[in-house]
Amino acid sequence: MQFPQSKHRSPIDRRTVLARMGRFAMVAATAAGLGVVALAGTTGGAAAAEKVSLRLKWLTQTQFAGFYVAKAKGYYDAVGIDLTINPGGPNLNADALVASGADTFGLTGGAESQLAAADKGLPLVAFGVSHLTTPYVFVAKASSGITKLEDFRGKKVSTWFTGAQHTLKAMLASVGIGEKDFTLVPQSATMNPFIDGQVDVATATLYNEYQTLVAKGLTDLKVFRADDYGISVPRDTLVTTKAIAEGKPQLVQNFLEATLKGWQYALRNPDEAVDIVMKVDPSLDRAHQAAQMKVLRELMLPPGAPGLLAIEYPKIEKLAQLLKDAGVLTKVPDVHAAFDDRFWKAAPDSLKKL
Amino acid sequence: MSGITRLTGRGCGSVCLPIVMILVAAALWELSPRVFKISPYYFPPLSDVLAEGWRIRTIVLDGIVRTVTETLLGFSAGALFGIACGVLFALVRPLERAVFPLFVVSQTVPVVAFGAIVIIWFGNTIFAKVVIAFYLTFFPVTVNTHAGILACDPQKVALMRSFGAGPAAIFWRLRLPSALPTIAVALRLGISLGLIGAIVGEWFGDTVGLGVMLIQAMYTEAVVRLWLIILCCGVVGAGLYGAVAFVERRLVWWRSDA
Repeated sequence: MQFPQSKHRSPIDRRTVLARMGRFAMVAATAAGLGVVALAGTTGGAAAAEKVSLRLKWLTQTQFAGFYVAKAKGYYDAVGIDLTINPGGPNLNADALVASGADTFGLTGGAESQLAAADKGLPLVAFGVSHLTTPYVFVAKASSGITKLEDFRGKKVSTWFTGAQHTLKAMLASVGIGEKDFTLVPQSATMNPFIDGQVDVATATLYNEYQTLVAKGLTDLKVFRADDYGISVPRDTLVTTKAIAEGKPQLVQNFLEATLKGWQYALRNPDEAVDIVMKVDPSLDRAHQAAQMKVLRELMLPPGAPGLLAIEYPKIEKLAQLLKDAGVLTKVPDVHAAFDDRFWKAAPDSLKKL
Repeated sequence: MSGITRLTGRGCGSVCLPIVMILVAAALWELSPRVFKISPYYFPPLSDVLAEGWRIRTIVLDGIVRTVTETLLGFSAGALFGIACGVLFALVRPLERAVFPLFVVSQTVPVVAFGAIVIIWFGNTIFAKVVIAFYLTFFPVTVNTHAGILACDPQKVALMRSFGAGPAAIFWRLRLPSALPTIAVALRLGISLGLIGAIVGEWFGDTVGLGVMLIQAMYTEAVVRLWLIILCCGVVGAGLYGAVAFVERRLVWWRSDA
């Protein structure tokens, strides 16, 4: 069977096609040659930047402004780090991605997840902690009549079963409320059950859920902070593998110092920091992000804190004992192995304050 | 169906009926929150959702472009792979017996379980989302291609053989064309699944796309935004489905279910 188009095909057509292909090949070859020269030029010049990635614990938001600011301001470039910031998500575990080598650095859950990682034998080491005070709180509506921790007795309390439940239980145990004295339910992604009054007490991070509640008009909330009951859960830990910490200490040092610089700038210039983050993800709600930025200041540099991204061993040791008693950890791990503050100590003090 | 078509007039049924239904649904969406005084937090009226869409139109458009790109790439790869596997399984039965169970196993694992692994392998690239879209697409296409080719009428095969047609001619002129209507059904299924794959893929860390916006809206309780993204996903899904169905009607005009 003959196709009708084949009648129109002529040798001239074929020649033009060949000529065109030839011209294209020449252009492509020239372009490739230029590319090679250009490439040689860049690698031959300044020291080649090391390709490094940072995995965040969650989607892009001002909670991670310091990293985005440091990147936008060229602080990483200046120390030879070509950083890719990879956002996290609900189904991603930053610890696993760093431990597997998929990412160089990670901003992981917090002291509790880093202790659990150490307990499980994951080869991770933390070299900085962002939130020096527990970033989540337990909230109750004024109408619930709950004014003190003792009032939790007999109430329905929702919390995240990813670690926060141990903080809650320890807080309640400190005022003599046992696990059987209140109803504990897992908290889902939405604050709806709390808003509707299906639960009396809910858990909220000061930078996200709490801001959402305030934005929804729930301004009259009674807030219970773990730190007021002698329990502190420092969160948002900067981690890398032990192999990188030992094998490339200068990389870790440079990364930490550039990050400190980024955070310092972000906290000093919150509006600009929000702008930089909004540029990365324009679909974010600016008001929410600005509110988040404001809270970060008090979480990252609370009164009496040693400085930005500090590792506070006494708090972590106390938390480790608490988690061991709760049966979460099989033993109290060596916190100095899981958290290594030598990089932070070596960083100039001027970068750690505002 | 033919009764309804007759009621609405000839030729109008396939176009007018869906439009009427969409308008009715839109009216219900707009009016029910107002009439029943439902808080916008539970169910915002359509006009609120559309206003939000207009406010952030460039962002929504960027998101749609990204997600559709991921879907089309994953769907194309999945469709080609699925058709190739389906043909291979139909022609080489031992291969079918050996490999097909693995395909079935792969589909019983929820895709979310693979997410972290896909990220480890492909990083936070568009490729990671394409792979998930591919993963959801190829299976129905494989199954339908396989079934379509095997369902070929043996009498027709015998007839062609009696005219001296070789296996290649029988495949290209009889088996594949007669399987195409079945394959086309799988493609319509596959494009919808591909979209879901792309959206879920974006949940594993990204900054652009409908999936990213969906999660953000979910976790910041931005209910109007959430409905907007749901609406966008629906419109995009329907559009893609319609496009595949259109191509199918043009290319596979002999389809059996028409």
